[in-house]
Amino acid sequence: MTAIDISEATKRYGNETALEGLDLSVQRGEIYGFLGPNGAGKSTTINLILDFIRPSAGEVQVFGLDAREDSLEIRSRTGILPEGTECYDRLTGRQHVEFAIESKAADDDPNALLERVGIADAAGKKAGGYSKGMAQRLMLATALVDDPDLLILDEPSTGLDPNGAREMRDIIREENERGATVFFSSHVLGQVEAICDRVGILRDGHLIAEDTVEGLRDSMPNQTRLRVQVDRIPADSSAALEALESIDGVSEVSADGTTLVVACEDRAKTAVLRTIEEYDVSVEDFATDESSLEDLFMAYTSNDRTEVTP
Amino acid sequence: MSAITVAKKDFRDAVRSRTLLALTLVFALFTFGGAFLASWTAELFGEIEGDGAQTTMDLLFALQTPASFLVPIIALVVGYAAIAGERESGSLKFLLGLPHTRRDVVLGKILGRTAVVAVSILVGFAVGLVGLVTFVGSVSVVDYLLFTLVTILFGFVYVCIGVGLSSMTRSTTKAAVGALGMVLLFWFVWGIAAQLVLFWREGSFMVESFPEWYLSVVSLPPDSAYAAALGTILGEDGFTMASIYETESLPLLAEPWFGFVLLAFWALVPLGFGLWRFDRADL
Repeated sequence: MTAIDISEATKRYGNETALEGLDLSVQRGEIYGFLGPNGAGKSTTINLILDFIRPSAGEVQVFGLDAREDSLEIRSRTGILPEGTECYDRLTGRQHVEFAIESKAADDDPNALLERVGIADAAGKKAGGYSKGMAQRLMLATALVDDPDLLILDEPSTGLDPNGAREMRDIIREENERGATVFFSSHVLGQVEAICDRVGILRDGHLIAEDTVEGLRDSMPNQTRLRVQVDRIPADSSAALEALESIDGVSEVSADGTTLVVACEDRAKTAVLRTIEEYDVSVEDFATDESSLEDLFMAYTSNDRTEVTP
Repeated sequence: MSAITVAKKDFRDAVRSRTLLALTLVFALFTFGGAFLASWTAELFGEIEGDGAQTTMDLLFALQTPASFLVPIIALVVGYAAIAGERESGSLKFLLGLPHTRRDVVLGKILGRTAVVAVSILVGFAVGLVGLVTFVGSVSVVDYLLFTLVTILFGFVYVCIGVGLSSMTRSTTKAAVGALGMVLLFWFVWGIAAQLVLFWREGSFMVESFPEWYLSVVSLPPDSAYAAALGTILGEDGFTMASIYETESLPLLAEPWFGFVLLAFWALVPLGFGLWRFDRADL
């Protein structure tokens, strides 16, 4: 059973193409992480699902219903956390949640929802005085109204501190265990990795990879992260970093004091170590990690890399 | 029902606006001043005319003059950002993320904002009533209530114009310019244009009897329609076309009762056009 089924969806604004021939399907009951750099077309896709915009071509279905024709039924079964949404400044947090409850003809307890997202003590305050993180929590509370079958969260950790982001992940997990399908977009990867069943990576309006986290790793088995400890910082450190970056197969280089982290393909390892020694420093220690999704993401979305089809 | 839910939420939000409070105060000030003026004219004309007509004249002085200027401004200020403002801030995605159709949102906005304007009118007119009782002494309650109802209808018309404009654009600046344009059009441009055409056709601004097309044209704006509708309701034609232009036979458009048809037209056309545009728009 699919919760979201997008086929051949294209969206153009005048001469600009925001999305081109996107095929994407999200199974019921899974957590789908929709990844991509800013401007890749993630919000455009979500806007199509919610009938905020209409496709130039192609079809979008949710729960097997047409996103356009049956939008009302789709939205009554979906909880939405839009990206960077402003609240109504002159209404209180509780009034926002009450409005969502009334709109969905649900019978949730607004205080319980506000408690769940951790802003119960600000329930009676006007949302105009909320911080970005509180506003984000409030919007999440409204999305949880009526135990939706589908949760669509656009950049849910925006404005949240690490603790808030962790609470957000906990709620996403709880909702998923209850049976909800979760579709969320992000351009930050650290947190996605831990909770997603499947991941789709969007770039320039194309889905360039779609798989489980493990599957994505397997599709790039030679990708590793090399951690190198050197005895001192070379005199010409920036030239050294540039030299490392220009090695064929290296996708990212970062330095922290005498520790160098290089994301690269296996075959480039020797070249990396040799290059370091050319700058008159000696390698005291080095280790290789399994690549994180972050490295994969960099490799997929950086411009010099050829596209990988899953 | 969905529109009602939106309307209630919208009313709670919009009625707390400081701008509205300021405009309502100005309005109340004017109706109070109007009541004072009415008592002054009552002394001038009191002995000539009967009491019944006098009460109505008092109402016209005290309430209609400030209402016909300030209600359009209040309604447009309350309405112009109703939808464009939410599009700009993104809160429209919260609103439409909930199961409301776009039509429910527009209708709910119109109901909610009309209620806001009605509150402003009720406050202004209540102050006017206090003024009338203080300065004039007697007021016909029935006339006063009818007056209030027609004025709320007038406010509704301008809310439709404001919200209609607001649903056609994603920029509050454009909506504000549109609203200002409507005020300029109905208050100045329309009358001046009609006069210019009159001059071009008749060779003079001062004609013996005004041609029918001219009477029709100047009867069209919502503000003339409001005056005509009031004249019909109050059985007083002092402020309708027939008395202003001293003609016996009136074209249909200038008939006082036709004011209601024109008010409906000015409400439904911008509303319909706004709905049509908004329903097809990419947010």
